[in-house]
Amino acid sequence: MKRKFFDLLFRTATCLCVVFSCAVLLAIIGFIVKQGSSAVSRAFLTGEITGAGASGGIFYNLVGTGILLATTFLVSAPTALSIALLHGVYLRNYRHREKITILLYILNGIPGILFGIVGLVVFVQWFGWGKSWLAGGILLGFMILPTVSVTLIERIASIPRKYIEAAAGLGLRQSEIVRSVILPQSAGGLATGLLLGLARAAGETAPIMFTATIFAGATIPNGIRENPVLSLPYHIFILAQDSYSPEVNSRLWAAALVLVILVFAMSIVALPARLKIHEEADHG
Amino acid sequence: MDKSVLRTENLSVSAGKKSILNPVSLKIPGDGVFGIIGPSGAGKSTFLKTLNRLCELTPGLQINGQVFHRGVPLYHHGVDVDALRKRVSMIFQQPVVFPTSIFANVIFGVRHTETIPKKDWPDLAERALRQAALWEEVKDRLKKPGKELSIGQQQRLCLARSLATDPEIILMDEPTSALDPGSTEAIESLIHQLKKQQSIILVTHNMRQADKVCDLVAFIGLQDGTGTLLASGSLDELRSRNNIPGFEDYLCCE
Ligand SMILES: Nc1ncnc2c1ncn2[C@@H]1O[C@H](COP(=O)(O)OP(=O)(O)OP(=O)(O)O)[C@@H](O)[C@H]1O
Ligand SMILES: [Mg+2]
Repeated sequence: MKRKFFDLLFRTATCLCVVFSCAVLLAIIGFIVKQGSSAVSRAFLTGEITGAGASGGIFYNLVGTGILLATTFLVSAPTALSIALLHGVYLRNYRHREKITILLYILNGIPGILFGIVGLVVFVQWFGWGKSWLAGGILLGFMILPTVSVTLIERIASIPRKYIEAAAGLGLRQSEIVRSVILPQSAGGLATGLLLGLARAAGETAPIMFTATIFAGATIPNGIRENPVLSLPYHIFILAQDSYSPEVNSRLWAAALVLVILVFAMSIVALPARLKIHEEADHG
Repeated sequence: MDKSVLRTENLSVSAGKKSILNPVSLKIPGDGVFGIIGPSGAGKSTFLKTLNRLCELTPGLQINGQVFHRGVPLYHHGVDVDALRKRVSMIFQQPVVFPTSIFANVIFGVRHTETIPKKDWPDLAERALRQAALWEEVKDRLKKPGKELSIGQQQRLCLARSLATDPEIILMDEPTSALDPGSTEAIESLIHQLKKQQSIILVTHNMRQADKVCDLVAFIGLQDGTGTLLASGSLDELRSRNNIPGFEDYLCCE
């Protein structure tokens, strides 16, 4: 009787927690949609910023965020792949693998603003790049490295050993096993990790605000030095600081809505591949 | 002159402090099928994997002693392990079909050797599939996923994949224990065919199978929890001896 009661209590509490978090999520999204949807239009998406955000659109902010994300992708994909292969294939010593994992978790715990400050010292000042899209892409790439690497490491670890043994039993060299067994079977993990990481990078302001992005007056970069870009999160950040007028306010929420859609889209695209991980692991 | 194709000398395996296999010294002649029998957990699979150094992929196993392949030591730093594993191929208990097409599975081992040009792959695949008695069943669906085949067909696909690399020795670890009687029959008659060209070392649990296909057998039993080579010779010879510890028990329980 008593056990049944606790069972019920526990179940109710669990359900309440789930309902509560879903409600909060829906409330935030609902609020953004309500506040922003009226200002989202074709002109808003394709227009240049004018009037300090009170008029015009966010075209070059989208472009800038796209450039930053593409750079992030190019930085983190090969690096994460190398780390994961080192972890899952080349390092046979358990302690060394452990060290990599610990390093990744430490990196994951570093706040975005620290990436921004390190970037300011290294890229802006020491390299003398000033504000540059490349610095932002590199910083974001390192910031999402733990997400991408850990997803890929888990995926590689879940490849059933029998495949590797069978390939080795056929006389394939290690590099050939990597190419024909490990990479094909973990490509989904790389894609998932990248999409999740990029979804996070898309909304980050702190690492890029001193290093890569400005509020207005940049279009498409034509070099590295002194070549900042506009970006969505920084745009939202600045507008939010002085959103006194209703025009600015509605554009602020519209930009937020676009960012949310972008991030959601990336997470949802990553979903099927994520589900597949568990499927494979079950049948392993 | 040593006529055996493989010879082990005091070959022992342990995992940390736990001894898995007591030193084994065994000569395996090149012609015919050499069977390895023994109770579950005796270390038959482990022994088989030492013969092409596949056991080295399992972390934590220590191998001592030596294996000679036609007189050449295998546990030696100059040995090209990958080339060795190509010559001494392995078929597992559960067929391991890669998540790709039937055709790609057959040429999986071959595609990495530069010696065989790409244009020859289809012919080679056909020959290997014919040898594995699978060609007629799959010739119209080579592009289909290998996993769509029945387990028995998958095992023959694995055999075809090994044969495509033209191994000298095929190690088979209970290749029919996951199979239905029909597929078992097919594999057994294949073994009869193959033994004309290849040396086959077959781990089996099944005395009927051992009687049917093996020319010689080695009996690995458990002594104090460690696998030990207790006897080798023809099965009739082993049956007529009655001083092999554990052998009678093994026979009656099979
Ligand atoms: N990596 C390992 N670490 C520790 N012990 C191991 C390892 N691999 C195998 N063993 C042990 O070695 C023993 C022999 O295993 P093996 O798989 O070779 O037996 P087997 O004779 O093939 O049995 P079966 O007939 O059930 O296949 C078992 O007791 C097993 O638990
Ligand atoms: Mg076994």
